[in-house]
Amino acid sequence: MTSQPDEGGLGRRGLLGVGAAAPFLAPRQAAAQPAPPSLPLKERPDMTLTLHINGKAHPLTLDPRVTLLDALREHLALTGAKKGCDQGQCGACTVLLDGHRVLSCLTLAAMAEGKEVTTIEGLAGADGALHPMQQAFLDHDAFQCGYCTPGQIMSAIGCVQEGHAEKPEQIREYMSGNLCRCAAYPNIVEAIQAAKPQMGRA
Amino acid sequence: MPEGMIGQSPVRVDGRAKVTGTAHYASDMAVPNPAWAFLVTSAIARGRVTEINEAEARQVSGVLDILTHRNMRGEVQDAGFFAGGGYTSTTMRPLEDDRVHHDGEIVAMVLAETYEQAREGAYRLHVHYAEENPAAGFDAEGAELVSAKDASKGSFEDPAVGDADAALATAAVTVEADYATPTQHHNPIELFTTTASWENGRLTILEGSQYVHGLRNGIAAQLGMDPSLVRVESPFIGGAFGSRGSLTQRTALVAVAARRLRRPVKLVATRDQGFTIATYRAETRQHVKLGADKDGKLVALVHEGVEVTSRPDPYKVAGTQTTCRMYACPNIRTKVSILHADRNTPGFMRSPPEVPYMFALESAMDELAVKLGMDPIELRRVNDTMHEPIKGLPYTSRSLMQCFDRGAEAFGWKQRNPEPRSMRDGDWLVGVGCASTIYPTHLGAATARVTLTPNGHARVQTAAHDIGTGTYTVVAQAAAEGLGLPLEKVVVEMGDSELPPAPVSGGSNVTASVCTVVMQACEQIRARLAAAAQDGPLKGRDPATLRLVDGTLRAPDGTAEPIADAMGRASNGAIEISAENIPKGLPPDSLKKLYQGRQALGAGLEGKEVAMAAFGAEFVEVRVHSRTAEVRVPRLLGAFAAGRIVNPRTARSQLMGGLIWGMGGALLEATEIDQRRARYVNDNIAEYLIAVNADVPKVDVLFVEEEDRQVNPLGIKGLGELGNVGTNAAIANAVFHATGKRVRELPIRIESLL
Ligand code: FES
Ligand code: FES
Repeated sequence: MTSQPDEGGLGRRGLLGVGAAAPFLAPRQAAAQPAPPSLPLKERPDMTLTLHINGKAHPLTLDPRVTLLDALREHLALTGAKKGCDQGQCGACTVLLDGHRVLSCLTLAAMAEGKEVTTIEGLAGADGALHPMQQAFLDHDAFQCGYCTPGQIMSAIGCVQEGHAEKPEQIREYMSGNLCRCAAYPNIVEAIQAAKPQMGRA
Repeated sequence: MPEGMIGQSPVRVDGRAKVTGTAHYASDMAVPNPAWAFLVTSAIARGRVTEINEAEARQVSGVLDILTHRNMRGEVQDAGFFAGGGYTSTTMRPLEDDRVHHDGEIVAMVLAETYEQAREGAYRLHVHYAEENPAAGFDAEGAELVSAKDASKGSFEDPAVGDADAALATAAVTVEADYATPTQHHNPIELFTTTASWENGRLTILEGSQYVHGLRNGIAAQLGMDPSLVRVESPFIGGAFGSRGSLTQRTALVAVAARRLRRPVKLVATRDQGFTIATYRAETRQHVKLGADKDGKLVALVHEGVEVTSRPDPYKVAGTQTTCRMYACPNIRTKVSILHADRNTPGFMRSPPEVPYMFALESAMDELAVKLGMDPIELRRVNDTMHEPIKGLPYTSRSLMQCFDRGAEAFGWKQRNPEPRSMRDGDWLVGVGCASTIYPTHLGAATARVTLTPNGHARVQTAAHDIGTGTYTVVAQAAAEGLGLPLEKVVVEMGDSELPPAPVSGGSNVTASVCTVVMQACEQIRARLAAAAQDGPLKGRDPATLRLVDGTLRAPDGTAEPIADAMGRASNGAIEISAENIPKGLPPDSLKKLYQGRQALGAGLEGKEVAMAAFGAEFVEVRVHSRTAEVRVPRLLGAFAAGRIVNPRTARSQLMGGLIWGMGGALLEATEIDQRRARYVNDNIAEYLIAVNADVPKVDVLFVEEEDRQVNPLGIKGLGELGNVGTNAAIANAVFHATGKRVRELPIRIESLL
């Protein structure tokens, strides 16, 4: 539940124990209590940084509050990673950071500097050949609307590489951070089982 | 093998785009130099905005403008409530005045150069309220109960037949119980987003929509524009489930903002705002009485329901329309009422009427079976009927018992011990349950344009939508079959209001409505080619017998001419056909309403001559921990009969998703409401529980073959909403079997079983 406004820079996020860039809760000010004192207005000079994404370097000038997800989507036109909650609850924004799956909505762009970011756009070969996980999702109809799919696929690759795809029960458990409202779950598990033997272990 | 493409299981034609991240959903579509919008929503459910202090917000660097009722009054006109023949999800006009009608109502929109600045500006906008005591819903002081009949001003009658109360008084066996279902939110994973831009007086809206023609006409009415000056694009939709079926408040605000700023404006509403700026499934309370003779034959059914709605809008789902037609019964009385409270207006959510009301009926049927000492499947068998009991109209087809028999066999229903609490596996109490499922076969007028090029490629254009349903794929299959082409040679364009109108992607109508009109266009192309074939190798053949098969125009004797040659005779270039169809039984003004973007579905159970519906039987196994009362569902199985299945692969996914939805609805999902302040409490998808992968070990979907050419020429019944109807009751019935405890209020949680 949202109540008190969070001033974008400081505030309750530490108390809530959520990651660094969250929660971007909507402002719904509590009515009965007096408005909380505002933090002083702060100038936030843009920062320059370079992100390495899918093997390419991208120099950027960004507001320091920009998340990795928004940097990809709004500043680099890499809209494969999706925003489903912006709060670390759905997994639609999952990308790989140095090979490990992370929620890009809970990762500030600045935190990705010096690391290799892999997004859904970076999976297929230059010849257009699909990554085995992409092909398996296609073959097993492991999606319906497709909105959670880039996150599911990145997470599935992470799951296999972590060694958490040994048994269906384990896949179900380790893929439960990626919500699919269309509920393609059984097909997602089948797809991961099918793709796993075709993926070289990282 | 193109012939017979309908009924095959190609992978989704849009699948590659979806697995590579190149499918562009509304907020993925680039616009030049957008300004960003961020909403401020009300902190009270009822009262007035007394003061809006903008000073601090306006000092935030990058903030460009702030929309509030002070500068917006009169900007957005009334476009009519969608359920009353208009366009909008609510009659509350956005930022029209200082009144607050519900929790989380939009009270301001902050516009800035960047998303981060707009968000900070929104946090620094100080809104003050005069709060009045709100009514949250049931049992709240000030909530106003009205019968649906009165609220509808004569357009709704509670269905009834015979004398149910007299029959109950003399029935050999009766059951009577109260049931309750909770508030639920669609929570598609794509957030509610809108991008608007203007160019030379023309407005373009990018927004995930289930009805681009409705959105276009609605926004035009709100802004006093000619609809031809509005374009709505929605090529991909990240889930909808009813939430994107009508025009919500945000769209007009974004459009006005873009006009004021003279640049595109982009809004990505937050997840919690999505709970209050769109619609939801309202909570219900229901009362059911069943009377039967000693063999289980129903003699009386009474079904009464109360549904919550907003103050101004008489929204209802009235699932009694379905439950009263489920079984043979000579005496039926129903009544639906609505309760006006200080809430946002509810709306369609996947199987809107059937989910809550069939939970009550199918739970009561199970209770009756227990009381009779009868197998619940046999109880359904003795009450099965080929005529709906209210008007006695025949079902065009109804394979309910075939579904039960197939499902029971595959599930191993016979192995159960009917005694409650009799089955155990270690610490787990094991239960099995079943329930009927039904979804009416709705149809709508539709239009499509099909173009066949001289080199044998086809383009299908229709403003339908693929909300995950597989529409791109099934429409391509229909055209491939109709034109005798391989699927790869068919391109389908949808989700754009510039295309010929197609109905709302709701009521599970689209596969039937749109494939039918596409096939008609293909038939006209065939007829043209056949008529022109007389001076070629097919000379002398009756044109009516020539068919398009395997890239040729072919006579029954096997003589064939390649399509390209036939095309050369019939036309100098491509052949383009526009077709319009009004399904049999729908009023003639359906097409006019479609062009106006109004909701105009028909058929289903309330037709004049026949009743049309898809049926199914759902089976579940539950395990309830004997000490912690945790409920798990190791198995879900559904057997479904839905006429002709265009693509078993995508159909299976729809039904599987539906079964899982039903499971989530039974055990997990509920929007909690602070009863004192009428505000949603768990307005995020960590605390609003959606089924996750670990909740769903095994789901089986079986198709029971059904041939029904009366529903429509292709024999298609919709199935997008069939899967999640029976599941709630099947799970509650299984929980009873496992524990001996009957839970009549959803969701069933640990606390329900302690
Ligand atoms: S958008 Fe990052 S977890 Fe939902
Ligand atoms: S495919 Fe729609 S949310 Fe997963």
